[in-house]
Amino acid sequence: MSKIIVGIDIGNATTETALARIENSQTTFLSSGIVATTGLKGTEDNISGVFESLKKALDKAGLELSQVSEIKINEAAPVIGDVAMETITQTIITESTIIGHNPNTPGGLGIGSGVTISLEDVLSATTSQDYIVIIDKSIDFEEAANIINQATNRGFSVKAAIVQKDDGVLINNRLNTKIPIVDEVTFVEKVPINMQAAVEVAAVGEVISQLSNPYGIASIFNLSPEETKYIVPIARALIGNRSAVVIKTPKGDVTERIIPAGHLQIQGENPLINFNVGIDKGAAEIMKAIEQASPLENVKGEPGTNAGGMLERVRQVMAELTNRVPSEIQIQDILAVDTFNPQKVVGALAGEFSMESAVGIAAMVKSDKLQMESLAKKIQEQLKTNVSVGGVEADMAILGALTTPGVDVPVAIIDMGAGSTDASILTGKEKSVASVHLAGAGNMVTLLIQTELGVSADLAEDIKKFPLAKVESVFHVRHEDGTVQFFEEALPPHVFARTVIVRKDAGELVGFVPIPVNISLEKIKKIRREAKTKVFVVNALRALRAVSPTGNIRDIDYVVLVGGSALDFEIPQLVTDELSRYGVVAGQGNIRATEGPRNAVATGLVLKS
Amino acid sequence: MQFDEKLVRDIISEVLKNYNLGGANSATSTPSRSVSAASDIKFRELGTPTTGGPDEVFIAISPAFSLGQNQTISKLPHKDVLRELLSGIEEEGLKARVVRISHSSDVAAMASAAAKMSGSGIAIGIQSKGTLLIHQKDLPQLSNLELFPQAPLIDLPTYRAIAKNAAKYAKGQSPEPVPTKNDQMTRPKYQALAALLHIKETEYVDPNKQPVELGVSF
Repeated sequence: MSKIIVGIDIGNATTETALARIENSQTTFLSSGIVATTGLKGTEDNISGVFESLKKALDKAGLELSQVSEIKINEAAPVIGDVAMETITQTIITESTIIGHNPNTPGGLGIGSGVTISLEDVLSATTSQDYIVIIDKSIDFEEAANIINQATNRGFSVKAAIVQKDDGVLINNRLNTKIPIVDEVTFVEKVPINMQAAVEVAAVGEVISQLSNPYGIASIFNLSPEETKYIVPIARALIGNRSAVVIKTPKGDVTERIIPAGHLQIQGENPLINFNVGIDKGAAEIMKAIEQASPLENVKGEPGTNAGGMLERVRQVMAELTNRVPSEIQIQDILAVDTFNPQKVVGALAGEFSMESAVGIAAMVKSDKLQMESLAKKIQEQLKTNVSVGGVEADMAILGALTTPGVDVPVAIIDMGAGSTDASILTGKEKSVASVHLAGAGNMVTLLIQTELGVSADLAEDIKKFPLAKVESVFHVRHEDGTVQFFEEALPPHVFARTVIVRKDAGELVGFVPIPVNISLEKIKKIRREAKTKVFVVNALRALRAVSPTGNIRDIDYVVLVGGSALDFEIPQLVTDELSRYGVVAGQGNIRATEGPRNAVATGLVLKS
Repeated sequence: MQFDEKLVRDIISEVLKNYNLGGANSATSTPSRSVSAASDIKFRELGTPTTGGPDEVFIAISPAFSLGQNQTISKLPHKDVLRELLSGIEEEGLKARVVRISHSSDVAAMASAAAKMSGSGIAIGIQSKGTLLIHQKDLPQLSNLELFPQAPLIDLPTYRAIAKNAAKYAKGQSPEPVPTKNDQMTRPKYQALAALLHIKETEYVDPNKQPVELGVSF
């Protein structure tokens, strides 16, 4: 007696189908299907996706819907996650003390100090002191160079220049005596006249040394030890720049302000354990509180903050999904990650950006049960086939993961999705399964990349998914690992000389997408890998600690990585590498030796029947 | 056709008469202080260009540039335009070399020919009416790195920015494409004038004339 069984897994991002023939209790898998999930998981909107996924599998196996004797859908763990970002520091310049920006092409070299004076006045000034000339945009570079040369000839001592336009190199090339020149100072009119100032320009490929050193600034301006204390933030703000201007004004100051980002109220299941952590304390403090309070009862944010709004949004969505009131929905986990957010410096003269500290927060809610039974009924009505809810998602995923060659019990799986990272463990053949759902997964990585690079969400998603390359000529690219690839035909001109995303589809090169920001390939690569580590490696460790019967990761032998993010080109390696330190065999799953890390739950549903 | 400085001056004054405009008129259209009367670029012929080092960007000027015409379609003096192009390349720390293309008035053909001579493989092509593009030696002639077809909308800072970008391509940096204005009315408004200027440009085409490198002073 043979029958056709279908397992369908409706996930947050994809709907996956496994199709099998069962003959004398022998299961033979025939085909699989995968489509993007339509609508929010657990809602009626899913049905069209289910239908399409099923059709794909049927077409591949050459079967008709009428031949299917049973369809099993997952008892989806109703987990949704969301992410938010809070910037917690702000750099403010009061009065006009520093210009620490990095024009691409400053002029000259070295350090010069003197009293600021506008270029028009320099020829009628007294000769006895050193000057720094300020050149606004109405003055042509040739004229500016002429005046400075004349001034020098007449015995004026011009030590440096601050220029509004991008003319640094042009002026410098026309000077008889070379001086350091900082250009592209947008708000040059705000630079105070008749104040002591210093300008430093470093050589190509180097960074300034004098103005980024508090004692360096103190030496130039003859500061007292007391005064030197106050210029520390200035010096710090200039570290790593190729050029800088520091102006000594009576009241000028640079401060790093901590922005009140609100608090998180963390309530443990034990009513005695609760924490109130300020988000501005940073991710480490928040995670410490989460660890101490877990298992969590609920987390609340402050209204009016990004994090508070995000937590409310998550509650709202889950409430709608499960037909409950939002106040009954409780946040089960939070992942906080320290990151940087490039922000315009308040009061800056050259439109400088400062990498401000920020905290990214992912939250996850879990409800008791989604309306899967009613969904199953509706699918049954439409397909006229027997449809039932097959089993708990985590159990099914483990069953599916066990079909990976080389895996044996006790085994743990880490399901790395888009909204949450889930883990479960099977300690023996007949033993029960323990599982955990954690906040933070693929979407969080995208948010981190998006924030740190200041790019759009779509571009950040692509940067996350694909490796990088630099187009070095019309006929060749250098990949991020240093290897060179040549092309017979000329590459499209819009990618020439650019850092590009190497878009692939099923391992085939589809094309290059230029990244429109002026950040080096190495930096983008570093940010991308760090974002993945901060989310997935951290969560893998958190998850395994939670499901390990002893609470110790070392007591787990096999870990199978499944889910959409396990398909990533480097996340599995990052996790595998970290887990190897704990003596754990971890790797990307290969469901039924053919499906890779996909289809675990759908396969498990079929096997269970 | 042989020409020397005097001849150039004669032609320019001739053209100026035809255009019936004074230097002061065009001077007001530029914000810079050191503005000169229209076209008094001094060209010095340096012969057939040979490919130099990787730190050079070629500027290919069209057959009639500062010869039959001395301002762009938006009445920017060629002198100021060329000066911005040279400045943009210099500010990026590269050498600019100017070459006159006489065999074609097509901006892509001009730039492509110059790119093949350029040590960096990068060249800017500019027509008298101000249309310009950035070309690379390995690209097909009709392709380009960046094209700026609406000459009436290009101002002097944009010419500088375009030259800076050309230099950045030569350095292998990853420049952001120069933002340009777009105006649907440009075409109907300027089409006739553009056609006329192009005809005047093409009158100076000599299919047998080799590219000539020019020393430029203002």
